[in-house]
Amino acid sequence: MPAKELDSPCMDCKDTESVLTVRRRQLCGACFKRFVSYKVFRRMEKYKPPRNPQDPRHQLLLPLSFGVSSSVLLRMLDAELERQRSKNFARNTFDLHVLVIEPSTMAGSSVPYDRNYEAVQKIFPQHTYSQVPFHSIFEYVPDMNEIMREYTGPQFTDDSSRSNAERLAAFRAAISTATSATDVDSVLLTRLVAAFAKQSGCETVLWGDSDSRLAAKALAGVAKGRGASLTWRVSDGVSPWGLQFDFPLRDLYKAELIQYESVCPELAEIIIPDEPPSDNVLTKNLSIDELMMRYVETQGAKYPGVMANVARTVNKLETSNSGNASCGLCGGLVGNVKRNSGVTVSSQAESSGSPFCYGCMRSRPEINC
Amino acid sequence: MADSAAGGEASILITVEFTGGLEMLFSNERKHPIVLPPRLDDGSRPNITYLLQHLVEHVMRDQRKALFIMEDNVRPGILVLINDTDWELEGEEKYELQQGDNIVFVSTLHGG
Amino acid sequence: MAPTACFNCQQARAVIIRPKNRHKLCRACFLAIFETEVHETITGTNLFYPGERVAIGASGGKDSTVLAAVLKTLNERYNYGLDLCLLSIDEGIRGYRDDSLETVKRNAVQYEMPLEIVGYGELYGWTMDQVVEQVGKKGNCTYCGVFRRQALDRGAARLGIKHVVTGHNADDVAETVMMNLLRGDLPRLSRGTKIVTDSDASDIKRSKPLKYAYEKEIVLYAHHRQLDYFSTECIYSPEAFRGSARTLIKDLEKIRPSSILDIVKSGEDMAALVPRNVSQNGKGSQRVAAGEDEATGGCGSQNGRSSGGEMAAMEQQLNENETAESHETEIRLPAGPTSQKLPKGGKVIKKQTMGHCERCGYISSQRICKACTLLDGLNRNRPKTAIEVSVGMEDEESSTTLMRQMERTQLTSAEMLKKNEDEHV
Repeated sequence: MPAKELDSPCMDCKDTESVLTVRRRQLCGACFKRFVSYKVFRRMEKYKPPRNPQDPRHQLLLPLSFGVSSSVLLRMLDAELERQRSKNFARNTFDLHVLVIEPSTMAGSSVPYDRNYEAVQKIFPQHTYSQVPFHSIFEYVPDMNEIMREYTGPQFTDDSSRSNAERLAAFRAAISTATSATDVDSVLLTRLVAAFAKQSGCETVLWGDSDSRLAAKALAGVAKGRGASLTWRVSDGVSPWGLQFDFPLRDLYKAELIQYESVCPELAEIIIPDEPPSDNVLTKNLSIDELMMRYVETQGAKYPGVMANVARTVNKLETSNSGNASCGLCGGLVGNVKRNSGVTVSSQAESSGSPFCYGCMRSRPEINC
Repeated sequence: MADSAAGGEASILITVEFTGGLEMLFSNERKHPIVLPPRLDDGSRPNITYLLQHLVEHVMRDQRKALFIMEDNVRPGILVLINDTDWELEGEEKYELQQGDNIVFVSTLHGG
Repeated sequence: MAPTACFNCQQARAVIIRPKNRHKLCRACFLAIFETEVHETITGTNLFYPGERVAIGASGGKDSTVLAAVLKTLNERYNYGLDLCLLSIDEGIRGYRDDSLETVKRNAVQYEMPLEIVGYGELYGWTMDQVVEQVGKKGNCTYCGVFRRQALDRGAARLGIKHVVTGHNADDVAETVMMNLLRGDLPRLSRGTKIVTDSDASDIKRSKPLKYAYEKEIVLYAHHRQLDYFSTECIYSPEAFRGSARTLIKDLEKIRPSSILDIVKSGEDMAALVPRNVSQNGKGSQRVAAGEDEATGGCGSQNGRSSGGEMAAMEQQLNENETAESHETEIRLPAGPTSQKLPKGGKVIKKQTMGHCERCGYISSQRICKACTLLDGLNRNRPKTAIEVSVGMEDEESSTTLMRQMERTQLTSAEMLKKNEDEHV
């Protein structure tokens, strides 16, 4: 068959009109999906099939925020399972548990999501779905009350007669700055997800962070004194709770995930669009996480390679195996990483003898900065 | 209206100093005597925000305003001392200027 | 606002709020605490030994002036028994360095310290004014940075001194951490936060006693002690700081003042997490000429802080690496399932072997050191071609050496910057 007359043929299949440009290559929708999915499948190859057919499959937990990244990841993993099943005699190598932390119970989001939750179960029916409110952290982490009381100090009084939702709200209200509030929220969220995963018998949490998001998380983590815990917050690694944390989207930019969404119409029913970032917030009123997200977005538009390098670099760091205690709140290391003889910690009188790590001490309510 | 609000109040005389390399943006002069109205049109007293605007509009000849001002405030990395006290102890840009105040802007961004 | 009493003495009026812990202090308590903390850094890291001769790298700027003043004070207060002197570099920039050298000369009198001035002219036969005349304003900072690194060592050697202290502060260290993370430079990430950098070849160690001191506190210390320092931009790098990592650091400080030390803490932890085969490959072979880590932005007189052009240069370099490693082939997928394996733990980082420059004997990872290479170029009147040729030859055997690549970035950053600008226009 003679070659079709195409204005701008896909550079992979040469057979179809290209619809988008990825990393300086023009691709058609199908080849683009293949390119993007391949990046994720490579990451999923580590979940090998069980040696005996009777052995249990890998149990993986996917937290779903209804944002672009986690929704796209779900779509890709669903396709991967489908592909596994379609092969002769092939079985799935893993089961997927999808966890939704009710968005209405989290900071400032009142967007109704019930229809999205229904839609996702209908579109991808093969998986187990659960949803829990944010304040269920008191149920999944039984000593959370105690931890919060110790963390916030004397100026915060916990009223045990109130509902869990009210108690969590009071705790979060005690944390004054945008940076600390965002920081502590993400710490609590991670804990809740980890605790839920353990209770559901999952061995691994698959986080839907894009490469851009991981770069921002890494830079913000460093700026918040949490450098040591990047080995499981940004790298694929073992979390303090013994669960594996993996980031299968680490090779894909946020922009590419948005492109992926655009070629997967079924995702429209699931994804709750991001609220556009407001432009007129003064830098000093941003949280460090927001500042870094903006930094990665603006600099990443000009220098995508540099930003992609950040998460890649962090992923090369070794896990700290110091015998130090782990932080009561975030699970991170208290004190210095082994072989770090720096004196930053020892010169900080306020953090010596504390059950909390350096990063959590910085977000503590009485440090109003 | 401004006149009646001022009601005989004297103008505010202050001294503004630029150091740490900032003097380059202000005609290479370190000290600048500045006269401010006792009250603004809305009846409020001039504060640091007003002073910054005044400096940019009337004193700074260098076109590179962004080296001094960002987001309508002092650029991060420039320290402000109000009568030798860190402005963070004095309410930062909301500090209302007093007769005879000495305001120092020090850049920390220049050579080590 | 009502005056606030000092957190420490509870009596005098507070004049400063400390970035690291928000303590409000009066002038006297602030000066005392600042000095005590530098003392604790010095004793906590066993930085000096009694009777040691120490040269203070003095530029006349705020950091080195404060360093000289504090070291003199502490040396007397705690009987360190140090023999201190000032060591200055004269880059040969009229209207800039001659003014700052006047400041250093006054400091020498004020602090009763001997002063040694080493000039680019006498060392290399080229002053920066002459270099700029030849190569133009773009890219001249590279020459200055390379020359400066050796000049401090040579000056110290001339004085018979084996320890040079520099005025690098916590902001500088924080910026280095961020830059090394963006650059993906693990060896430097493992070294950049260290207080001491040794050099095998020159026997001269470098250290930064102010590495935990906020730039803000250094400036306020200088202000409240009314120290005599010189502050102006180098006339050859007028566009400094725009869009640089420095700006990011200052934005962070505005949002959460402690974040500068928090970055240092993170950097120290991460340094200890850099795989040993990267950080200590073949013990000793990873060591670099003292001070090499600092001059990341090229310009020596700015304590190596970034100037804004480095991101473009890094991007260019990364793109080149990527093309070289044929990452692009990933896009062309094999049709079926693939057996391609993930590179576990990233790519292999070859070790770098240190030797001596054949020409001048200075420590160098290459046959001819960078200063001599640059000089060759200058002397041959074809600076840029000369560098590329010499690096290109070296590169055939070790093209994946990250540090080598970054050296190239530094050397040719001006060209890349220009190329990059052209591409983005």
